[in-house]
Amino acid sequence: MVDKKIVKNVKNIIDGLAMHQNPESVAILEDIGTNSPVDEIREMTAKALVQKNLPESLKIVITNKGKGINDMSTGVAMCTINELLSLEDKTEAIRILEDTVENNSDDEVRDNARSIKALMALS
Amino acid sequence: MADLLSISSIRERIFNPTKHEKSVARSSNPFAQTSFKGNVLTADVFVSENQNKDENQNVSFTGKLKASALVGSIAGIGNKIKAGIESVAAFANKIKDNVVNYWNKLNNTEITFEPAKQALSRANERMTDALHSMFDPGISKNQIAKMEDLSVAKQLFMDNAETWAIQAGLRAA
Repeated sequence: MVDKKIVKNVKNIIDGLAMHQNPESVAILEDIGTNSPVDEIREMTAKALVQKNLPESLKIVITNKGKGINDMSTGVAMCTINELLSLEDKTEAIRILEDTVENNSDDEVRDNARSIKALMALS
Repeated sequence: MADLLSISSIRERIFNPTKHEKSVARSSNPFAQTSFKGNVLTADVFVSENQNKDENQNVSFTGKLKASALVGSIAGIGNKIKAGIESVAAFANKIKDNVVNYWNKLNNTEITFEPAKQALSRANERMTDALHSMFDPGISKNQIAKMEDLSVAKQLFMDNAETWAIQAGLRAA
């Protein structure tokens, strides 16, 4: 049983890093958040990275195998996709998705990017 | 003479209002239907212009009598309102006494029903937790968002994420 206080602390740290203007916050979220064995932490981190809507943060959740839309956990992947679809300004996300479809070396990552790009065009 | 009779009847009705409360129907009183809780001006105090001319010629004191009758009726309304307020005060006092008695009874009642005891105990624990979290808020997101040195935030994130993984059984302690 996980202590509620720990859950609250992690959530607040991730939210605080999502609000932080320093580009180093993206690196911290990637290093610790996206590599956590806990699904909930990876899910919260992916959402925070999408909400930042920066090229560096979006690349992490779109182009990396095992992270964001390519996460092994369906819950994490779906949550990231949902967050991408909820973006007000989707320009940067669509640009990175197009780039991933054309240039990424991994077939699975390319396929996922293509599907999300189609969804984003419809939304 | 007819006027004098009507004046005496006005006085009689005004100073003995309860006797005449039921008789409402009057021809020229426009307020008869909108009076105060059935206590209507039962006398016909509205006199036509023609009648006033006659009165000026014959009886000069009727105006004063009618005015005093009207004032008397207004004073009667005041008494009614006072009585109403007193009854409301009495009602409030009764409610207050009931609440106080119930509270005293509750304080003197020993709870022997086991689930009720457990529920109270749980409520007490929840209250203690709430108070504890109120005075120990932990890490706030605004605190992290305003941090200049992000190495502290990184360390906090690492420690808490690690503790979560250990408590979830995903990593060895």
